[in-house]
Amino acid sequence: MKHAAMLERLSNLHRSRLQQYAARRSDSDAASPAFESVRSFLDHFSDSKRSIEAELARCRALASDPASAPNLKPELENVSASIADLDRLVAENSYFLPSYDVRSSLKAISELKEALDSANSELVPRKKFSFKNKASKKDQCILVKQIEEIKVVDAEKSNPVGVRDSPGFRNKENAVLVKCFRVSEEGEGDFSLSDLNSCEVYLKGRIRALFVHRLRNCRIFAGPVQGSILIEDVNDCLFMLASHQIRIHQARATDFYLRVRSRPIIEDSSGVRFAPYRLFYKGIDEDMKDSGLGEETGNWANVDDFKWLRAVQSPNWCLIPEEEHVGTTNASDREEQCDDE
Amino acid sequence: MGLLSIIRKIKRKEKEMRILMVGLDNSGKTTIVLKINGEDTSVISPTLGFNIKTIKYQKYSLNIWDVGGQKTIRSYWRNYFEQTDGLVWVVDSSDVRRLDDCRMELEKLLKEERLSGASLLVFANKQDIQGALKPSEIAKKYKYYRKYSFHDIFYPRIKVPLSHSQHIISPRDWYIASLGTIP
Repeated sequence: MKHAAMLERLSNLHRSRLQQYAARRSDSDAASPAFESVRSFLDHFSDSKRSIEAELARCRALASDPASAPNLKPELENVSASIADLDRLVAENSYFLPSYDVRSSLKAISELKEALDSANSELVPRKKFSFKNKASKKDQCILVKQIEEIKVVDAEKSNPVGVRDSPGFRNKENAVLVKCFRVSEEGEGDFSLSDLNSCEVYLKGRIRALFVHRLRNCRIFAGPVQGSILIEDVNDCLFMLASHQIRIHQARATDFYLRVRSRPIIEDSSGVRFAPYRLFYKGIDEDMKDSGLGEETGNWANVDDFKWLRAVQSPNWCLIPEEEHVGTTNASDREEQCDDE
Repeated sequence: MGLLSIIRKIKRKEKEMRILMVGLDNSGKTTIVLKINGEDTSVISPTLGFNIKTIKYQKYSLNIWDVGGQKTIRSYWRNYFEQTDGLVWVVDSSDVRRLDDCRMELEKLLKEERLSGASLLVFANKQDIQGALKPSEIAKKYKYYRKYSFHDIFYPRIKVPLSHSQHIISPRDWYIASLGTIP
């Protein structure tokens, strides 16, 4: 048994090798001439080599004539390209060439390259393009200055980075949380909702960005977000959101009522459902318009699931049947509480 | 290897540069690229895959690869490392919670041998959001990387505002004259 299996494997291997070989041959046939004969390859090679040398000599002659100086650079570039072609030719035919011929061809090519380089540096005394050296010299001065600046900032600041939190509602349970953003003050900031359990949240007015993290059994109603919304780790929630971009990660059994300019995406989520945005409070129309969200684009239904890249519908999300929609939510009466953060 | 070095040389002659834009999702990579190119940024969906833009700047031709940052597709980043001249790491300065994740992802990236020799730029994006961390604060978070012998963390003092009516300073200059080298 074992023996037979091994024989079969070996013959399969042999067959696939033959196929690969054939494929490689047809590939190289299409790309460039394959010679399969050492003699004809060497002939072709020495012809090309001679013509490149002749070109180089011509360039040197050109250089002595100032009138033709501008033509020099393209000429030299052509030479460089033909050397590269020659190199490729050797590489592609190296599988049948004797190693001596490969070595000597490569040596000839490197001599050609050297000749070209010296011609380049003699005839075109231009600045060599150097990416790192020049940049680092100039930048180092700037950078040194910046290091100093940073140090000054560090000295002034007593609180370490990462401690500072952006405005938001955090660590609440069984609460109704309301926040009104007035354009003049907080309209351009970001806001976070994190570690909330069984809460109802109303955000009225415009904000620039919204971060949502670790919510359980919550209902979130928010006015327009001019930038993007990032949602991570939410279970059994309802969101009513309007934004330019919405990314949903690790959501389970959650409904989203969205208005969004681009396609919303989900990742590592399941049981999420989508429906159009239905929120009302006094002045929401202006807020929506000012945030570039005045029009319904229909994108709330064009969800991309990054964990489902096949053409068929992802099993992780669906649309909410119309009869199950919550209907327009009126948040006009919701007032901010004094004891809010 | 001889062939590769020739191609590199030719590329350098043509002053063609390959720049890779990476960073966590929601950091604004696509927006930056479109902004630089002067295109409309009002409708941008999260990037599924990648975009390539070729931008002519002075005598350079910049091939900018903008690769999606969602967690699922981060593992594909390494397919783009070969032949990269410049790496732009984009940070969402307002996303304080994921700042550590962000730094760790960059750390993973920098262990890649294929990126050695490329220049690194850390782009502290979304400076126009009120309450966003200042570039100096981001730099402080990243200064840990000095052990990787970066010259230093460098950041452009540029706002990339959302509404396209506002004017931005072209950040193209620092693509050319950039910064530290990945060892």
